[in-house]
Amino acid sequence: MPPLRGTFVVGLTLAVVTLPQAIAFSTTLAGLPPHFGIYAAIWGVLFTALLNPSSVFSGGPNTTMSAAIGITLLPIAPQFGADYIGYALTLILLAGLVQMLFVLIRPLGRTLDLINEPIVNGLICGIGVFLICKSLTSFAGLPINTQVEWPLWIAWQSFVAVLEIGNLYAIEIGLVTLITSLVVRQWRPLRNWAILLGVVAGTAYSEYLSATVGIQNTLIEQIANLSYVGFVLPSLPSFSQEAMADIITILPGAVTLALLGLFQTVAAMRRMNRKMGSYTDSRKGILADAVSNCVLPFLSSLPTCASFNRMWLVFSLGGHSRWASAVSALILLLMVLYLAPLIAIIPMPAMAAIIMLLGANMINWEDIKPHFKDRREAVVFMASFLSVLFLDLFGAVIVGSLLAIAYSKWEQAHPNISLSGNVLKIRGNLYYGSLPVIEAMYHRAIAQDDRVVIDFSECFYIDQEGIRWLAAAKAAQHVRLADRRRSDDRRAIERRAAADGKRRTGRRSSKVDRRKRSEF
Amino acid sequence: MNTIAAKFLKVFLAVVLFGGLYLVAVAKHDERDRIRQTAVELTPDCKAKLEAYGLAAGPVYRSPYLVRVGGEAVEVSGYSEEDVRAIQRGCNIIDDLQGFVAGGEGLGQRWNATRFVRGTHTTCSHCHQNAGDKQDEKGNRIQGSNNLGASWVMADMYDRFTGLILSHELRQMQCYINSSNGFKPNIADDLLRDVTAYSRFIAAALDLKIGNRYLEQGMDEIPASATNRRGDDYVRGAHIYREQCASCHGQQGFGLVQDGRVIYPAVAGRNSFSLDSRMNFAAVNTIMPGFICRNMPPGAEGTLEGQDCRDIAYFLSTLPRPAGDLQGPLYAVWQQLMMIVMPPLTAYADSLRSSSPRPVAH
Repeated sequence: MPPLRGTFVVGLTLAVVTLPQAIAFSTTLAGLPPHFGIYAAIWGVLFTALLNPSSVFSGGPNTTMSAAIGITLLPIAPQFGADYIGYALTLILLAGLVQMLFVLIRPLGRTLDLINEPIVNGLICGIGVFLICKSLTSFAGLPINTQVEWPLWIAWQSFVAVLEIGNLYAIEIGLVTLITSLVVRQWRPLRNWAILLGVVAGTAYSEYLSATVGIQNTLIEQIANLSYVGFVLPSLPSFSQEAMADIITILPGAVTLALLGLFQTVAAMRRMNRKMGSYTDSRKGILADAVSNCVLPFLSSLPTCASFNRMWLVFSLGGHSRWASAVSALILLLMVLYLAPLIAIIPMPAMAAIIMLLGANMINWEDIKPHFKDRREAVVFMASFLSVLFLDLFGAVIVGSLLAIAYSKWEQAHPNISLSGNVLKIRGNLYYGSLPVIEAMYHRAIAQDDRVVIDFSECFYIDQEGIRWLAAAKAAQHVRLADRRRSDDRRAIERRAAADGKRRTGRRSSKVDRRKRSEF
Repeated sequence: MNTIAAKFLKVFLAVVLFGGLYLVAVAKHDERDRIRQTAVELTPDCKAKLEAYGLAAGPVYRSPYLVRVGGEAVEVSGYSEEDVRAIQRGCNIIDDLQGFVAGGEGLGQRWNATRFVRGTHTTCSHCHQNAGDKQDEKGNRIQGSNNLGASWVMADMYDRFTGLILSHELRQMQCYINSSNGFKPNIADDLLRDVTAYSRFIAAALDLKIGNRYLEQGMDEIPASATNRRGDDYVRGAHIYREQCASCHGQQGFGLVQDGRVIYPAVAGRNSFSLDSRMNFAAVNTIMPGFICRNMPPGAEGTLEGQDCRDIAYFLSTLPRPAGDLQGPLYAVWQQLMMIVMPPLTAYADSLRSSSPRPVAH
């Protein structure tokens, strides 16, 4: 166990930084009472800290997942209502169960590794833009329309509404929060405290307005009573008969929620592993998330997944132990139990300003820039980014997953083939996907020359269809195969191939290939 | 040193940007306050209606209408100057949303209402006729005439289409969905508040009681069960449309515009209601027939039978029109394409028919 004092400091920082985020996520994004975010920051963080062996892993409420809950449920029931809360809990539980599938079915969990950086960054940037547009109405103290204002071409209308009919007091509070945070974060030692200080400034200004103008005139919405928040607040997802029709309609939302969580957890663990030079199996992270998200809906909590910015905070503060996260959960619990009256007066426009700031932080040019150096990566990034803006989140996740698979398959399906003289040299994979490309070159070769040598010495992987194709090519009298990996010379291979029959050749070569791979 | 300068520049730019936007917001709010204070230039219909109902600022309000139709005057609490202007603006929005009649300066009073509807035809009074309060010469309200006052007293009640308890503001949002171009006014927008004020005034003037269902509320819907069940037939509908409706709404249903003013609104094409609208027979198949039977053709209302109206509504639903908000970008593009491709084809088919011998009318 690391030094107690260091762990405590990291835990305290983490708790103080997480609290305003947790409240903002649940109230402005998910449309749930503030205690949902707070419990996610307590129990979600504690569970993932206990279950996930990574030393810097920090779970808890997440922007994207909270937004996904709001988007999925907005058309189903009025926000903050009893029905809505019931549906939200059901949605979280379903997402937890879907995540459990990713633990139980191993290949499914493995597919998450196919999600590459351009796709994750595209999703993150798109969601950042979305968060800014989404919080415009609460920034100006306007009610949220029941229609989902998701597409970008509708969002500018909210912006015009802010200018024309927004509550000017709300706008002022939001601007005070925004500018305070912006100024504070320029100074490195206070960078991690920028959000908290922004909220403090916004709340102070809101209190000043209440004292001078009167809250009956400013009409500022506040977090309100949190005195009911205790050690735990048990809750039950709704699976009643009359809710069933709606639960079926939110199923795609549950899959989206599950995938958005897992994408981030896996990507964050991958990135932190490389940063720290250590290795934690991402499968353990998936398990931790899945178990937590199956339990959290019974504790009135938002779902949990890895948080990039909080993990980065733990890492930069030197907290190399998962006790820091666990301690932060306990400190947060104490804070909520004893500081509830202070939390209650935080104005909603300040929360919206925080969400806008986080949204802007998600669009990080330093992260995006490398993707524009390679055309293929740029296409994948832009497709992923635009699909968040022009489709819904579910569509974006599906497009992202398909792109990831297409991307990796496209890589493999284009082996490097060269034809010099009558030697056809194949570097890369020899499998059903790459065969059409190889065959095109092969037929050009046999059209030019009646004796062709197929050199597959640098094929890393050959599948059954590839073996059958090689055997068929070998059957043609004028074609010879060459595999220079063997210690015997090329003729010996051919002799053996002729003697042993077609299948044997294939098996030999794939055995070679397996041995070759194990060397790397 | 350089980084500190860059940081200062960053903060400075942010402050300038946000400060500038704040100043724009303040200017817009001032403009709105000014518009709220100025006297309203009423459309002729609104002027007649509000004068007949004796709208004026004062401590109490007594509706002259109730005396005129032979009832007793009821005293209710009166309206302030600001209330009166809100009611007048609301009436203008209902009667003349596009600003054809009282345009110019008065347009600002409509709170940019045209921003929220598609095309250049839509006005509330196309469906809510006579500024949302249709009456015969004797002052009898007409069954199924979409009376706004009758609608207001039904507010905060269960809506069977959405399954929600709808406030009057949310109910108006449903109207914006009918011909939406993608975005709706915010629920706190003055546009909705003024129309609510006007609807509430109509309810007071007609002495409609809150929570009651009046016959003049809504469309008098015609379900299939109210006909003699011959089955809906858009071919028959097309025939009746050409005989009875096309002279005003046009062969293709594009309406009639003269001198930039809409005389008869479009029932198909860009300026028409969307696929998501309840007026679309394919979405809700009782409302459009009800509207046609009660309100069309003007001057000869009630001459069409229930089945005729259903057939016409069915035919209208087959004409190309914009997609609704919920149908997504692909559907929207497809509908836009259809609105370009279909009219010339239909015109060509019509020209073939008119040159061939006319079929015997049944």
